[in-house]
Amino acid sequence: MTSRVDRINRGLAIALGLFFVAVPWLLPLFASNFWVNVTAEILIWSLLAASVNLLFGYVGLLSFGQALFFGLGMYGVTIGVAKFGLGFWPAFGLEIGVSVLMSFVIGIFAVRLTWHYFAIITVVFSQIFYFLALTWKSVTGGDDGMSFSMPPMLSVGEFEISLTDQTYQYFFILVVVALSFYLKYRLLQSPLGKALIAVRENDARAELIGLNVYGLRLTAFVIAGFLTGTAGALFAFLGRYASASYMFYQVSGEGVVWTIIGGAGTLLGPVVGTGLLIILREELSTYWEYSLIPVGVIVILAVIFAPKGIVGLYNDLLERWFGADDESRPVSRPQPSEPARLLSRGE
Amino acid sequence: MVAEYSDSRLRKSGDRGVSEVEKKIIQGGLRVVSNLVFALAVNGIVWGLIVALIALGLSVIFGLLDIINIAHGDFFMVGTVLAWVIFEATGNFWLALLIVPLIGLVLGGVVERLVIHPIKNAAALSIVATFGLSIILQEGVRATFGAAPKRILPPIQGTVELFDIEYDQYRLLAAAISVVAIASFFLFLHRTKFGTWMRAVRQDRESAITMGIPAQRVFTLTFALGTALATLGGVVAAPITTVDFRTGVDILPFSFMAVIIGGLGNLPGTAAAAVLLAFLEGIITGFTDPTVARIASLCLMSAVLMVRSQGLFTGLAK
Repeated sequence: MTSRVDRINRGLAIALGLFFVAVPWLLPLFASNFWVNVTAEILIWSLLAASVNLLFGYVGLLSFGQALFFGLGMYGVTIGVAKFGLGFWPAFGLEIGVSVLMSFVIGIFAVRLTWHYFAIITVVFSQIFYFLALTWKSVTGGDDGMSFSMPPMLSVGEFEISLTDQTYQYFFILVVVALSFYLKYRLLQSPLGKALIAVRENDARAELIGLNVYGLRLTAFVIAGFLTGTAGALFAFLGRYASASYMFYQVSGEGVVWTIIGGAGTLLGPVVGTGLLIILREELSTYWEYSLIPVGVIVILAVIFAPKGIVGLYNDLLERWFGADDESRPVSRPQPSEPARLLSRGE
Repeated sequence: MVAEYSDSRLRKSGDRGVSEVEKKIIQGGLRVVSNLVFALAVNGIVWGLIVALIALGLSVIFGLLDIINIAHGDFFMVGTVLAWVIFEATGNFWLALLIVPLIGLVLGGVVERLVIHPIKNAAALSIVATFGLSIILQEGVRATFGAAPKRILPPIQGTVELFDIEYDQYRLLAAAISVVAIASFFLFLHRTKFGTWMRAVRQDRESAITMGIPAQRVFTLTFALGTALATLGGVVAAPITTVDFRTGVDILPFSFMAVIIGGLGNLPGTAAAAVLLAFLEGIITGFTDPTVARIASLCLMSAVLMVRSQGLFTGLAK
């Protein structure tokens, strides 16, 4: 028998899924078409936040360098199409290959370090590539970036599906993001996911029971690189261009902020945090040129009043309102995890 | 026979090949290059001393409060902007040098009470909160001061003969101000009651509180001092760099690098690392463009992190 809390959550998840499917028809009814693209952007950026969350929320590694893989994903697709003349799927494949390979090579060095040092080394590596992309203008186009024309996704004779159609484009992004989240969900349910959480909880103990801590951190880093690279590729498809500016460390920082605001260590936290902040930014910017000021205030208030993130706060409230009379809830409380320790108020 | 002939010819032309005039030109050229590298190295040291101010502020906040302050670069930026405003209003740069750190002190104290205090000791949350703060500071400056970069003329404009080159007097003065500020900061830390409290709270918070040290006041003052150091760095740097709402974004990673290369929580190491990093970057700039120099210093930084993550200057730690 499922608990009441689980039933509420499942209902909400289904409602959220239905909403995302209905977006191309629903939003133009009471808002402009522009908001369909905003939703697509939210989906893409929440994939970046999901990769930060995979590393921070589940393995306890705070990465400030995911922008590197986002940029690589963008360039993988753009250079594949514009320079090598690849079709849609080969360019997508090239991007996946590049981001997996690069995250493996960088991960070999980066995951030898943890916490502060890991955060700094990921910034350093991503900044190295940012400055490389900035100087190597003939290949990357530097700060101005380079654009490409969209190759068709599928063409059989006269029949052609291309992402130039906004609805096709939206659904392509939705499907890829949903698949990525499903992949992440399955991963966390698998023995590998449990091992990752064991590393987060206590890496010394995990080592003692025979887990390969270094290998597990590297695996998580490569999967996170793959997720971020995919997000970058989708963003390149959405804007049909790539630019070095997306490799700047501030982009990684936004991913971290979205994750923690939404709720680190929860599956949907990154989506909630990303969605909330992007909607706020877009909505407020129509009223005031300096709309980022209230966004900054909200970010600070969110972190003061919901230190476990919005989803964390929601879970706590749900537990308090509906969970008390529930027999099927596990009695034992999990130990405070690494992110929980880092997020706790201390003293 | 032929070979011998050509050999002697070659030797002869070799003797005559480099005339006295040509020798002078080559030596002159070498002197120009070495002077350029020398000037860039001095530039690097001057800039490193200014960054050392900022990085010290970052390091003291990080070491004592466990706060990763993303907004620290923006406090520097606010310092440059305030210097510009005061300079425009009064025409007196020295007034700005006096007032801006005091404004920074108050600003830092207010920010600690409003933003940092409620999330104390949670490093991950501090990243997010100070990120919000950083947005507010940047956009606030853009809204009031404008988005166009501005410049301040150095208050003293002459040059001075430094070995073989003509060097800006103001830059030397900026270096001197930084050295004095850094020295007085360390004196404060080691010679005053409050400085001792700060070090005590950093070493063992529980015991310090038990001994009756007002930890909360120490936290507030520490954050205020760190902010004041960043804004002071801003005033000193204002006539050298541009005054722009985005300058903080560039200085932040550099200051963090100095903190890490110097060793986390190692204040003298932080100052030394800032000077070393800027000095190396200055020299490399003599041979390639600034971006490549930045890449080289980043590579150096990652090597240090991989090999000696405790920092380069463990001997300086106290």
